[in-house]
Amino acid sequence: MSLELLLIVAFGGALLSYLFGKICPQIRDPFAVISSVALAVMMAFLYGKTMESPFYFGFLGLPLILRTNMLAWFFAMAISILGALSVIFSWDYVKDRERTDFYYLMLLLANASMLGIVFAGDFVSFFVFWEIMSWSTFLLISYNRGRALGAGMKYIIMSIVGSVSMLIGMLSLYAIYGTLHIATLSKLVPSASSGYLLFLFILFGIAFAIKNALMPLHTWLPDAYAESPTSFNGVLSGMLTRMGMYGFLLIIYVIVGAARALNLGPGIFKFNYILAWLGAITIVVSTFIALLQNDAKQLLGWSAIGQGGYMILGIAFGTSLGLAGGIFHTLNHAVYIVLLFMSVGAVQYRTGGQRDLDSLGGLIKRMPVSFIGALLGISGLIGIPLTNGFVSKWLIYKTLILEGHPFLAFAALIGTWGCILYCYKFVHHIFLGQLPEKYKMVARAPFSMQLPMIILSLVILLFGILPGIPLKVINTIGTSFGFQSLNVTTWGIASETGTLNTINIFAAVVAACVIVWLIFKAGPKAVPVAQEDTYAAGAAIPKDRYHYTVDFYNPLYRMISPYFKDFIGGFCIKLAGWTQNVCHGIRQMYTGYIGHYVMYIVLFLALLIFVQLKWSLW
Amino acid sequence: MDRNQIIKWLKAPAKMGHKYSLHAIYFCTGCGIIEVPPVITARWDAERFGVIPVATPRQANLFLITGYVSVKTLKAIIRTYEQMPSPKFTVGFGSCPINGGMYWDSYNTIKRLDKYIPIDGWIAGCMPRPEAIFVAVTHLWTLIDKDMADGYKRYRSNYHLYRANQEQLFGELEWPPLFPLEDQVEQIA
Amino acid sequence: MRIVEVILAPILALLIGMFFLGLARKIMARIHWRYGPPITQPVIDVIRLFSQKSVSHGNMFTLGVLFSLACSLVLILFLPMGKICPLSSSGGMLVILYVMLLAPFGIALSGGEAANPNASIGISRKLTLALGYEVPLLVILLAVMTHYKTLSIVNIVSMQQNTSWALTSLPLFLSGIAYILILPAILGIRPFEITQAAQEISSGPMVEYGGSFLALATIQHGLNLFIGIALFVNLFLGGAGNPPIFFLKMLVVFVLGLFINAALPRLRIEQAMRYLWRWPTLIAFIGMIIVLIIRR
Repeated sequence: MSLELLLIVAFGGALLSYLFGKICPQIRDPFAVISSVALAVMMAFLYGKTMESPFYFGFLGLPLILRTNMLAWFFAMAISILGALSVIFSWDYVKDRERTDFYYLMLLLANASMLGIVFAGDFVSFFVFWEIMSWSTFLLISYNRGRALGAGMKYIIMSIVGSVSMLIGMLSLYAIYGTLHIATLSKLVPSASSGYLLFLFILFGIAFAIKNALMPLHTWLPDAYAESPTSFNGVLSGMLTRMGMYGFLLIIYVIVGAARALNLGPGIFKFNYILAWLGAITIVVSTFIALLQNDAKQLLGWSAIGQGGYMILGIAFGTSLGLAGGIFHTLNHAVYIVLLFMSVGAVQYRTGGQRDLDSLGGLIKRMPVSFIGALLGISGLIGIPLTNGFVSKWLIYKTLILEGHPFLAFAALIGTWGCILYCYKFVHHIFLGQLPEKYKMVARAPFSMQLPMIILSLVILLFGILPGIPLKVINTIGTSFGFQSLNVTTWGIASETGTLNTINIFAAVVAACVIVWLIFKAGPKAVPVAQEDTYAAGAAIPKDRYHYTVDFYNPLYRMISPYFKDFIGGFCIKLAGWTQNVCHGIRQMYTGYIGHYVMYIVLFLALLIFVQLKWSLW
Repeated sequence: MDRNQIIKWLKAPAKMGHKYSLHAIYFCTGCGIIEVPPVITARWDAERFGVIPVATPRQANLFLITGYVSVKTLKAIIRTYEQMPSPKFTVGFGSCPINGGMYWDSYNTIKRLDKYIPIDGWIAGCMPRPEAIFVAVTHLWTLIDKDMADGYKRYRSNYHLYRANQEQLFGELEWPPLFPLEDQVEQIA
Repeated sequence: MRIVEVILAPILALLIGMFFLGLARKIMARIHWRYGPPITQPVIDVIRLFSQKSVSHGNMFTLGVLFSLACSLVLILFLPMGKICPLSSSGGMLVILYVMLLAPFGIALSGGEAANPNASIGISRKLTLALGYEVPLLVILLAVMTHYKTLSIVNIVSMQQNTSWALTSLPLFLSGIAYILILPAILGIRPFEITQAAQEISSGPMVEYGGSFLALATIQHGLNLFIGIALFVNLFLGGAGNPPIFFLKMLVVFVLGLFINAALPRLRIEQAMRYLWRWPTLIAFIGMIIVLIIRR
């Protein structure tokens, strides 16, 4: 099976579903689902293959090349599966909206272009697919209009800045080496001077850091996540944001090579230290900002920024353990953040788009599957043992401790402990507590929403209990980068500096749960009671006002809120305001009175003459 | 602990548990509550009898009605009593819950508390001394031993009567019946 | 042998935890110049609670409590008690740190479903307090792990057995002091008994627990005391070669903690946070820097 065929299926599926939507709307949804599932199945057959073939000649004399290897396959698999699940989730979610054909086109196009990015064998096709991805994402983020337009504008401006910086990097590569073929570059670039490598890292780093939302360049993400349609959030948060991670892996490990790339620079200002500290700052700051959010999707958005920091921390040290942790965390994060967004989406779908944490509550009684999804999602996010997030975080912490960076490890760990607070807040405010009167009759999520949630929940547990399955693939990626192979077993990692054995933990937890359950069963049976039958000092409880949500961590908020604000986001807004003012000032020139225009021309000519007389430039 | 005790423990651990671990909900219903702080603190030390105050009815099994019961308080008392897990014991403390005491002619004071909830024992006096509480506790022990502290069972079997009395006083109650009323009426009929 | 350990360790921990609860009430009574309850009083309470009818607010309400107790039991298997440590080679300190967080998380989920604001306030305080003491605690643990260059708690104990207690060794002395300063917060005893504050928020997350739920929660509390102290003994007092000495060390630490518990009133949550993020954190950071300097 050739890669061209895969991409044709991906892009063709997108275009055809748009056409079907115009011609015969009934078969559009099934077609979109079938094409994306077929794509995932085809992708699975590509496992373990490496191939490379040009697919189009004659662009400035540069061949456009598609190639695949373990790294590309790993990302492509995740993209296609999560994409398929998102398409299934969209089935009911966007059914009653307008412009659904357009929605499906853009959703599938974003997926297809991501596949293009990971399969691209040269920088021209990489850049083309990158731009398709940015623009289709922009159109989907602003799909809801209103506030979403602003969020989309923020996203596309930052994306363009990133793309331009990447374009400059590519041009300089082309000017020096005369080729943009990644495999050839990876042989030539490592011998370049340190200064040039730093220049490359900064240019490409800006592009990838913007996409991965690394701390000073993260400002697009919370609004974009919050305002885009929730069914698209799966694609956006799962893999699209992590294309930045793929880019970092590409530039650091594939092209320049870890040994050269990470030791660049003097003393403590080495490239990997700077990268790691940016990651650490991202984790801590965004965790505490997430704590202060009251909007479910904003909260998840900030948490996604923080989790991006963990991945950066993992790959920043260039050890096989850390690399495995970083790549594995990319996958794990994609799984649980998609699950969390789906759970929010199901709640939104049933409660009329409500995502304000303070006005929900008690939905566990009405939407149990969504609750289980959210619970497993936050368990993965926290990294509770036996869920997937634990293994990857364990690898990252271990790298940091063994490499002798306790302060970085502290930042990572404290990020996790802050994460517990906002995760509990998320689950508590939406699903636990008192069920408001108006949501008493809310129905369960439709099957098309439950199915992806169930699948992802199972994946979280599977990767948590048997982490060896994905870790073996990741280990192959590591060895292809020239690292020592890890001693991976199906249930963990064995090494002399501390072993991880998840199956032991699993057995112990299951046994303990069974024993405790048996003891509990021996006692008298508990009587189920209504939520109104709860202690209120003898009074009958007030309806709709007995759920403690507003200012949930009040003392903590008061302590941290002066320090943890989105200063950079605020600065960007201010910058936009200044630019607007300046432009407004310039616009005052256009008075509509012909005499003024004549005066401008005369003044400009006078300036030219003056310059020529004074310095004789021409 | 003497030998009789050990045999009793082996025979009926649950009953012994109920005897020696009385967790009292401290619900300040009237002036009698002023006697409770000395009882539970260093001067009289109720903890040596296994009596300690707890904060919520869910954790408690002893309910002290300390002092006069106004109509408004009664509602909270009933609610609290119903929230306690059975087996549960109630003790009226002082003259007021027994017959209204010095408020015998007040329009707003309940004269006979056991019309509304079952009471397992009374402590007479105005005020009873803290020692009286201990006498009551030891007395309650014998009652539990002889299965005579069965207020919660009476409440279960005569719930429709209690509920009728409560509704007669309050009109419509804000909470649903604790036990299904129809069954009981049918059983009796 | 391994299987005997697996069965023995939780039972021992259970007995010692209940003994600690009883001892706490007795010693507190003596400090208050009272006679106090019999030392078996917590066991009597648990028996009574098991025989009582209870109410349940939903499945998560039930499962949360069970999960919390189960995780505390599992955690016992990771902690070396003298030579007993059945699951020593399954992830080391990081797993212990994470499993430690499961028990309060289970209680939090369960209390959340009770639909009672008292429970929610209690949980909010508990999680805030946890963030408060985790800041110094993580620094301390990282200092220990960096100093001994291992993640395995068994190795940490054996290295201390070979040389000297971490508390008396120069690089980890300050870390040990910081741990002692936050120990009451980890154990949840006064002055950090903010979570369950019976007089303010009706015992917080436990407000709706009755009957067997409360019994399990009480057992869990006992285990929690055991775990907090056992971790300190293992990390800073050199563990022990055999279980009796280990339990003796634990007893000494616990009784010292009780004196603090009996003498101090309860702090407010923001006072507790201010305390935890000021002195213990400062001392812990200085300790960490000393460890790094000595390592270089």
